[in-house]
Amino acid sequence: MRVVKQKLIMVLTGTLVLLVSNVCFGTGIPDRITIDSIQKYYDGVSFNHAAHINNLKDCGLCHHNTTGAQVSDPNCVRCHKNSGAQAVVSCKGCHAAEPFTSEALKRQRDQHPPIFHMDKVGLKGAYHLSCVGCHKKMDGPTGCQDCHKRNDSGDRIFHSGAYTPKTADKP
Amino acid sequence: MKQYLKRNPNTQIVNSLRTDNDRGHRWTLMEKLLMGLTPQQYLAQAVSNPLNWLFAIVFAVGIPVIIGRFIFGLEWATGGPQSNAWGLFLGFGLFGMVPLSSSGFQMGSAVEVFGRHDMEPLERLGILNGILGYFFAVVFLMVDLGQPWRLPYPMVVSWGPASVLFLVAWHVATYLSVQAAEMSTSFFEWMGWPAGRTVIKKMALGLAVAGIILSTLHQGALGALSSYAPGKIHPLWYSASFQWLYFFVSSLPGGLCMVIVVSTIVIKTMAWRCDDNFKLNLDKLHISLAKGASMGLITYFVIRMIGVAHDNKWAYLATGWGVWWMFEIGFGVILSLFLLTTGVRKNNITLIRMGAWTTILGVILNRLNVYLITFNWKHGEIEIPPLREFMITITIYCIYIATYRFILYRWPVLFRWKTQYSEYAVLEATPAAIPADVAAVAGLEACPVGK
Amino acid sequence: MIDRRDFLKGCLACSVTAASVGVVGKNAFAAGSFEGYPDAMGVLVDLTRCVGCRSCEAACNNEQKLPDPDLPFDDKSVFLEQRRTTPKAYTVVNKYEVADKDTLFRKIQCNHCNEPACLTSCFVNAYTKTKEGAVIYNSKVCVGCRNCMIACPFNIPAYSYSSPTNPLIKKCIFCYDTRVKYGRPPACVEICPQQVMTFGRRSDLIEMGHERIKNDPAKYVNKLYGEKEVGGTSWMYLSSVDLDKVGLDNHMQKEPIISNVKDFLGMVPMVLSIWPALFTGIHLLSTKNKGEHGDHDHKEGDQQ
Repeated sequence: MRVVKQKLIMVLTGTLVLLVSNVCFGTGIPDRITIDSIQKYYDGVSFNHAAHINNLKDCGLCHHNTTGAQVSDPNCVRCHKNSGAQAVVSCKGCHAAEPFTSEALKRQRDQHPPIFHMDKVGLKGAYHLSCVGCHKKMDGPTGCQDCHKRNDSGDRIFHSGAYTPKTADKP
Repeated sequence: MKQYLKRNPNTQIVNSLRTDNDRGHRWTLMEKLLMGLTPQQYLAQAVSNPLNWLFAIVFAVGIPVIIGRFIFGLEWATGGPQSNAWGLFLGFGLFGMVPLSSSGFQMGSAVEVFGRHDMEPLERLGILNGILGYFFAVVFLMVDLGQPWRLPYPMVVSWGPASVLFLVAWHVATYLSVQAAEMSTSFFEWMGWPAGRTVIKKMALGLAVAGIILSTLHQGALGALSSYAPGKIHPLWYSASFQWLYFFVSSLPGGLCMVIVVSTIVIKTMAWRCDDNFKLNLDKLHISLAKGASMGLITYFVIRMIGVAHDNKWAYLATGWGVWWMFEIGFGVILSLFLLTTGVRKNNITLIRMGAWTTILGVILNRLNVYLITFNWKHGEIEIPPLREFMITITIYCIYIATYRFILYRWPVLFRWKTQYSEYAVLEATPAAIPADVAAVAGLEACPVGK
Repeated sequence: MIDRRDFLKGCLACSVTAASVGVVGKNAFAAGSFEGYPDAMGVLVDLTRCVGCRSCEAACNNEQKLPDPDLPFDDKSVFLEQRRTTPKAYTVVNKYEVADKDTLFRKIQCNHCNEPACLTSCFVNAYTKTKEGAVIYNSKVCVGCRNCMIACPFNIPAYSYSSPTNPLIKKCIFCYDTRVKYGRPPACVEICPQQVMTFGRRSDLIEMGHERIKNDPAKYVNKLYGEKEVGGTSWMYLSSVDLDKVGLDNHMQKEPIISNVKDFLGMVPMVLSIWPALFTGIHLLSTKNKGEHGDHDHKEGDQQ
């Protein structure tokens, strides 16, 4: 089951990577991206890529050096000053959806990644740290449901919505 | 009983196996339980004692609460404190009562090991005080444990030998047996089983030495238990190197003063039960005990000071906790020391008895401070136990007093059991014991012990 | 490998036997202390990342099948007070207002010490430190003395006092039964959107934690909390402010809690071996002196 799922993820990722790179180097940059790879407790996010590009102008803020933008982080600059654009641009191309499985941890140990890649966050962490971090600075929306609506199983584990405890007497 | 005997001075109270008249019959167990009174007489004396009325009220209210604790759970009784996990049951019942029960090993070893036979009139009282204190500490523990029916687990089911509590459990269990053996002599006399008494008497020295070992270790262990929580107990009450010594050393005057206090209460309220040997020697013995207790208190005071100086904790004295600490030391140690030493110097028994009271209150206050009052001092709030916890604690303490009195009324603790050689001749297993008993009876009349 | 626990076990088992049967205890010596299992897992908690969403509390509740909470897990009113773990919540998030920096949040749960105080204080050995690093609890033997709650330097174990017949210690077990045993991260780590928690081998996490501090010294205080505290914990913390300000004791002792009672426990065999000889000797001396002029005394002692 797990293997199948992983294969599926890999195939999907591959296709997406191809698509994205095609888009980037071919016809252009996508205006909307649906982030829906992790939808356990929340619905997917329809991400307005174009608006963010317009606002920020700097691809490197999210994509590091992969789009060919100049990186500002001094630690990254050491190696990636002249790296240029990469084949893989999408978040999930590099950030693992499941970073803490024993296979992932083993892979991490076996590969001896270069020093600053050793501590690479997972995909969910990458999204949130990037988005929430920036939204805080730019006064963007930071509430969970500002970006993605919690679904029924989310409500269930949060004991919220239809699952609000009877004892909770909120004003 | 005192009131009753005042009104009926000719009542015969059980103090031997047979009625005074040698042709009289052997006291039956029932008669012995009623101390030789008829049930009507017994009831009459019970009703005339105001303490019984107080007990009746306490038990009427408290025993249902104790039962409720087992039906509705600990949360119902104690509020279920998560951060101050040990409340009054252990803070007072276990940590407070055990040091005051060190009298058992001290009186036992004074007589049996150090050969202080002048202490004999108080030996049995000391041992009884010891065993009852320990036994009721276990009763308090049973009320406090979440699953008291698992109490034997550390003995038989699962061992946690790296734990101090494991040591305490084993030592208290072993020591209870040792004290039970020591105490059984009076029980055997009362029941009329001299063979058992003879066996125990032969073991007396061994039991006394075992008592010293076990007491040194578990009195200290109760202090070492608090070394598990160094950050939670206020630094003035905690010393990494001295913690177990604080507890052990303070238990020594605690136990001796408890004997003074109990024997004072006894002489005031049940003098009818004490024999002349007890009554005439008591003041002299109180002075001896007070000397011992002052020695212990001085040592305790010095190590408490060294403890503060060693870790340089003087700055804490300027805080509110410091004032409270100075009160504990000032009241429990310095005042007690003053009263006891002045009493000894001036032969003033009243001062000694007052000093004994302040000493035991000081020891209890210290235990409460360590495990209850200063525990989690950084949280800033003192958790006050709920009403039901107080009710249960008071009720168990009253059961303790009632049991204490029940035994003192009956068993030869405060008085000497009158033996009759004709009976021993029949029952004694070893023929050699007969002349000894004859000698004992003769010696008893000829020369009072301890002179 | 003889670790300290085994040594103490040996000592005490010896002592208990000696005490019970009255033979002289034998002192055993062993050196070294327990540094933790080499492959033990851990969690690196980066407090700078936490936004206080309480997802971890929800995930824990769900994973451990805990009772329904009083308030929904997205209710932020809980931050008005400082909470601690309870029988109904193995983990809670607290909010800390730090004067010169932003608000910080800290998730509280069992830190899974290398040499846990709960384990070493337990007189029925109800706790186990597994080779995966989890500190787990055996409810079958627990007597309910609550010494572990007294001993835990982080005030973690909670007791289900409300149950009259089967009250038990309730604490985070690192999702051992359902996840960590099978090499999966605990539920709270998995659900965390901000990846506040990094799951991995403890030894790797120590390196990673120091690396993060080194790479961004302006962001972090130079302290990996839990690396050394009370002998090391499986859960370790990075923070942007002094750890005292987020409810962690920055002056926590470095030695395991068990070392506080080491002196006392070390004395036990000594007392057991010296006291009998000493006091029997004293007895002989004191009764010999008495014997010269007061033989009847002793006889009466026997025949009171």
